[in-house]
Amino acid sequence: MQTLATFFFIVMMTPVFSQTRISGKVTDASGEGIPGANLSIKDSYDGASSALDGSFSFTSDEKGSHTLVISFVGYKAHIQPVELTGKEIVLNIVLKEEINQLDGVVISAGSFTAGEEKRRTILKPVDIAMTAGATADIAGALNTLPGTQKVGETGRLFVRGGDGSETRTFIDGMVVLDAYGPSAPNTPSRGRFMPFMFKGTSFSTGGYSAEYGQALSSALVLNSKDKAEMNQTDIGILSVGADVAHTQVWDRASVSGKVQYTNIRPYFNLINQKIDWKTPPASLEASAAYRQQVGKTGMMKFYGNFNQTDYSLYNHDILDPSLKQQLDLTNRYRYINGSYQQEISSTWSVRGGLSYSYNQNNTKTEGVPATETEAGLHSKFVFEHSFNEQLELRFGSEYFYRNYEASRFNTILNRDEAVSFTEPLLSTFAEAEYFASNKFVVKAGARFESNQLNNQNSVDPRVSLAYKPGKHGQFAVAYGTFRQTPVNQYVRVNQQVSPEKAEHFILNYQVITDRKTFRVETYYKRYNQLIKYPGSNPYQITNEGSGYAKGLDIFWRDSETIKNVDYWVSYSYLNTERDYLNYPHSAVPSFASAHNFSVVYKHFVPKIKSQLGFTYSYTSGRPYYDPNQSQDKFNTSKTPYYSDLSANIAYLPKNNLIIYFSCTNLLGRDNIFGYEYSTLTNVEGVYVGRAIRQAAPRFLFLGVFITLSKNKSINQLPNL
Amino acid sequence: MKTSNTIFMMLLVITVYANDEKYVEQMGKQIQNVYTAKSIEDLQIAVNAFDRIANAEKSKWEPYYYSAFGSIMMATRTKDATKMDSYLDQALASVEKGKALAPNESELIAMEGFVYMIRVTVDPASRGAQYSGLAMQTFGKALAINPNNPRAMALMAQMQFGTAQFFGSPTTEACGMATKALALFENQKPASPVAPAWGKEMVTGLLQSCK
Repeated sequence: MQTLATFFFIVMMTPVFSQTRISGKVTDASGEGIPGANLSIKDSYDGASSALDGSFSFTSDEKGSHTLVISFVGYKAHIQPVELTGKEIVLNIVLKEEINQLDGVVISAGSFTAGEEKRRTILKPVDIAMTAGATADIAGALNTLPGTQKVGETGRLFVRGGDGSETRTFIDGMVVLDAYGPSAPNTPSRGRFMPFMFKGTSFSTGGYSAEYGQALSSALVLNSKDKAEMNQTDIGILSVGADVAHTQVWDRASVSGKVQYTNIRPYFNLINQKIDWKTPPASLEASAAYRQQVGKTGMMKFYGNFNQTDYSLYNHDILDPSLKQQLDLTNRYRYINGSYQQEISSTWSVRGGLSYSYNQNNTKTEGVPATETEAGLHSKFVFEHSFNEQLELRFGSEYFYRNYEASRFNTILNRDEAVSFTEPLLSTFAEAEYFASNKFVVKAGARFESNQLNNQNSVDPRVSLAYKPGKHGQFAVAYGTFRQTPVNQYVRVNQQVSPEKAEHFILNYQVITDRKTFRVETYYKRYNQLIKYPGSNPYQITNEGSGYAKGLDIFWRDSETIKNVDYWVSYSYLNTERDYLNYPHSAVPSFASAHNFSVVYKHFVPKIKSQLGFTYSYTSGRPYYDPNQSQDKFNTSKTPYYSDLSANIAYLPKNNLIIYFSCTNLLGRDNIFGYEYSTLTNVEGVYVGRAIRQAAPRFLFLGVFITLSKNKSINQLPNL
Repeated sequence: MKTSNTIFMMLLVITVYANDEKYVEQMGKQIQNVYTAKSIEDLQIAVNAFDRIANAEKSKWEPYYYSAFGSIMMATRTKDATKMDSYLDQALASVEKGKALAPNESELIAMEGFVYMIRVTVDPASRGAQYSGLAMQTFGKALAINPNNPRAMALMAQMQFGTAQFFGSPTTEACGMATKALALFENQKPASPVAPAWGKEMVTGLLQSCK
């Protein structure tokens, strides 16, 4: 009976427990009230939300020592021990801002990032694919961004007074050698990798991270897609070939493969080309990707690409165009990339990979064979550690082993001649990123390189910082030194040659809102240790060349003002001179143009279920040297300006069908990229010049893309 | 001794029952608040309450479910893309916490698909392809677990309808789904007072556009 009495006693006592009132105010560091913050007594229902001015008041039936947790999105949770005794508790709580991944300050100098779609980025992957005039070529689309100079006869990315070889491509952090496919002399080449493979693209026009080396001007960092989500088959029927791809998905893995055959012969038979083709290019390409999730956070990726391209053409002599030389080319290319990343703990993560590039050109000039082979193996691992929310450290090491061999048949000695070199390169880098607040971030690091070909060691510092005073605008500066082994044709002559060096100074201001971007950037770039040789003797190579580039880049993008319209405008001003190669004195290089301007316009018309796109590009005249003039006039002549208006249309008649048509140079302007001159004078003692022109005024492309999947709402739009 | 044991047991039952009553009562109140919320602020208050209940209960998936629902509703009421994403991040985090407790709950998986569906609206041009596929797939998963989940069916119909409208293709399939969803709504018998019951208006609205 006593137990029962105790029970009633307890039951009777309960209402006597007094409630405790807790009240006060939640504010941010500046004293501004935070509305909607969640206040809760841990492990109980008791709590409240703060009012519009940040104030709160609630009661709790709990007794004794408890924990009050105050939380709100964008702020660190605040933990407050409380003693609940019935006496009112008054609290003033200051919440600390969390470092914001979506809207806070970011390192921005020098870089254009597409992807990581939740961030406000300047370009999205689909923009790269759908830019008129680019025909789904990554370099072509990036050429509409400021900081690039149009060099129409190469199709490559020339960045801020840098040569095309100064831009290096990385896939999932791993080096890609020979990232462009073969093309006829003085015709644009296309990138080997299609934009649809990538979920993110970061195009840096300077001041990039210490993680990336062997690039003087620019790093193009492509991040491939993760595991595919559904089974599908894609078929493409193109005016220049066909492709078929299939993706198979499992719970934790996916495999996709693609075979593409490109043959431009029928097209060239239809549309007259300035190039005297014997057999226009045809290529067969196969690629495959495998993705496997490992454990909770691990991701393993493999990618392989195999390509063979053949063509044959006649080169005509400048002095006597009736003299012609047959050139046959077979290009074989393989690229294999494997990468792995995994979180080791909540504060440590590791990633690493291996890539192998192999590129071989077999040429025959009038039947005389020559072979050029480059193969490179790159391995890398990187550790990342966050000490806390504000400080992150990244360090790693890479080994890059590259072999180059060129041989040709010497018709006089009647035997093969070969040159080769091997360059092992070991490097280590470390970089720290510190977020002082959501307003200020600094990244500092250095890269150490040990080159075992020329036995040189070097250290390159890199620093960048950004300050975001308001909601949308931010300032950024960057500095760094960069080095790169000279191109193969010089190293094979002199293996002891030093790397070329560049120093970047960048100042940037940008305002990014959801659908508008304004960005202005100014830079100064100093070149040292450039390759130099006397005009008469290309074997006497030194590192005595130097140069500079300075300029201003402006970018504006708006997808808000006009409904269904998205457009961007880029302008770049470049002032550059170099004293390198066989230049008699400091002069503007022939690939450099002072003014580059482009407008990209995209208009979605729901009525006709189509997206129309236009791209206009303008490039001011480029210098060339007329050898009939004295040497002090070196590179002072100018070509006419370049201009191009391209258009494309993507028509989506059904969910899983896209019909795509594009045409470059609608106005048919006869653009001249430069002039080449005869090596000997004609009978009148004059060097004869010949303009380097587009192979045809326009390039037309038609493609039909069909997607077969269980889910009919999927199409290849993101792939285009 | 026997009596005291019985009493002890009774006491236990009473407390458990009392707790459950409190849970049901509090949940019911907040569920009403989410359904009738007039502003983002109202929704935030309800979401906060669900988060408190979830933290206190520890083993119930429903508070996480409604917290996610409230966060999605917040996302639909703002135009600021960054804010939308941040609400949707919150919603997805709640769904994940709920899924850790009830991995095969059809309702939670349908809610996950709902997050992806709203993700599309933030930037249809660049997200449409990825997230609309993901949303459809997730609704499919929810229906595979429970073919009679009216909300999964309704959301799928809504998504399908939007896509068909965009491409100007016939909406018959989507409308058929909506009719099916309506039938499911009419026959649904909530397993508990806190079981999800929303979504019928969405379907009747959709069927209006189908006419």
